Amino acid sequence: MASLSGRQFRAMVKKDIVMELRTKEMIMSMGLYSLLTMVVYFVALSQTGSNFDPRDIAAGLLWLAFIFTSMLGLNRSLVHEKDQGCLEALLLSPVDRPVIFFAKVIGNLIFLLAVEALTIPVFGFLFLQGSSLDIGSMALVPLIMFAGSVGIAGVGTLLATMSVNTSGKDFVLPVLFIPLMYPLLLGAVSATAAAITGGPDAMGGFWIGMAWVVGYDVIMLLASYGLYEFIVGA
Amino acid sequence: MGSEQPTANALEVRDLTRAFGMRKALDGVSFDLPGQAFLSVFGPNGAGKTTLVKVLTTLLNPTSGTAKVLGFDVVSDAVEMRNHIGLISHNPLLYPDLTAEENLLFFAEMYGIEEPHVRVAELLDAVELDHRKLDLTRTFSRGMLQRLSIARALLHRPEVIFLDEPYSGLDPHAMDILDGLIAAVRDKHTFVMISHDLDKGLELCSHALILAKGRVVLFEPREAIDEAVFRDTYRATVGLGVA
Repeated sequence: MASLSGRQFRAMVKKDIVMELRTKEMIMSMGLYSLLTMVVYFVALSQTGSNFDPRDIAAGLLWLAFIFTSMLGLNRSLVHEKDQGCLEALLLSPVDRPVIFFAKVIGNLIFLLAVEALTIPVFGFLFLQGSSLDIGSMALVPLIMFAGSVGIAGVGTLLATMSVNTSGKDFVLPVLFIPLMYPLLLGAVSATAAAITGGPDAMGGFWIGMAWVVGYDVIMLLASYGLYEFIVGA
Repeated sequence: MGSEQPTANALEVRDLTRAFGMRKALDGVSFDLPGQAFLSVFGPNGAGKTTLVKVLTTLLNPTSGTAKVLGFDVVSDAVEMRNHIGLISHNPLLYPDLTAEENLLFFAEMYGIEEPHVRVAELLDAVELDHRKLDLTRTFSRGMLQRLSIARALLHRPEVIFLDEPYSGLDPHAMDILDGLIAAVRDKHTFVMISHDLDKGLELCSHALILAKGRVVLFEPREAIDEAVFRDTYRATVGLGVA
């Protein structure tokens, strides 16, 4: 059974990637939205005084962009499954519901990380040019990005599954998703800020934030795992 | 097989109820269907036909009551039961951005089918779509989608096949192909078909069920059915409107 679950899991992730490479719907919409957000930030912050240091708010700006961007993709990922009843066909097959859940989480995580990989260099170019950065601590940014994205993809996949069957799915997802992201944001922003600021004092803050995010990921993924079967059968 | 010993009945439904909020889409439905039977389910819109099929195919959990398919309980044995059932719906249940072959290979992986390429090629040939196997299904006509949907439903050689208005929107050629495919496997399988077409449903069935307001109005074997009385009952039932 374990090997069948593995086959099913790989097939579902592969299917999502093949379909996305073909349509580019999620990557295009998320990528464009994220880049436009960076441009809006840039224009808005260009009016600030000369004493303003973008590093003070860089982490918050980045995570806000990722949270809002992810909602676009999460909705799309489940709409694909709802098209022509594909989700029903998937649920009809002898696959454990958690396998479906984790396959969708991995698919969403891959697309979110791809968009983040595109956005972060643009953000650095627009806001951090000329700032003195600690390369060693900046190297930790991908680590917290990955940990935070796991939480976004996990909680978001569960909530998108819930909201896709509702008539106001574009409204329901943000209303449920954003409050649940609050604890994640606390840890992720604090750890990212520490990594961007750098220095020996910041490292303690980074690892505390990182531990907070990993704890959030574990708790929320376990809760989502437990709830997924109930939600798809409700 | 199942939590209890299998029986000769393919379906055993006992006091099955499914509520959506305060509304009961199914309200105490009970019937037994023998193996290799063909059950046609009739009823007005909102009678609970699709909900019945969704519960029997494990897509929805019942609110109360029990249902067994081939001895498998639809709740406690759901994962194992899905190896033995197939669904052909008026929706194609296919990914529009995958090719015909990719769709079938994907579902073959879901069912853990050995030598999936061989089985997929066999079914594409049976539904006369082997020449379009590399085309995205979003380019397919309604009839072609339905034929591919039949191939998807038969991939794992299910013993019980559910058909939810399978003839809906089909052209005559596609209807002939569907008829042929059903006829080819008719004797070895149990069928449950939702239909609004009385003539087609009665022509195919060994048993008929009329649902209204989530309740069983009539359940009889075909040989016991007086067609004129049945039609009158159906017309009166349709007059009841939605549940």
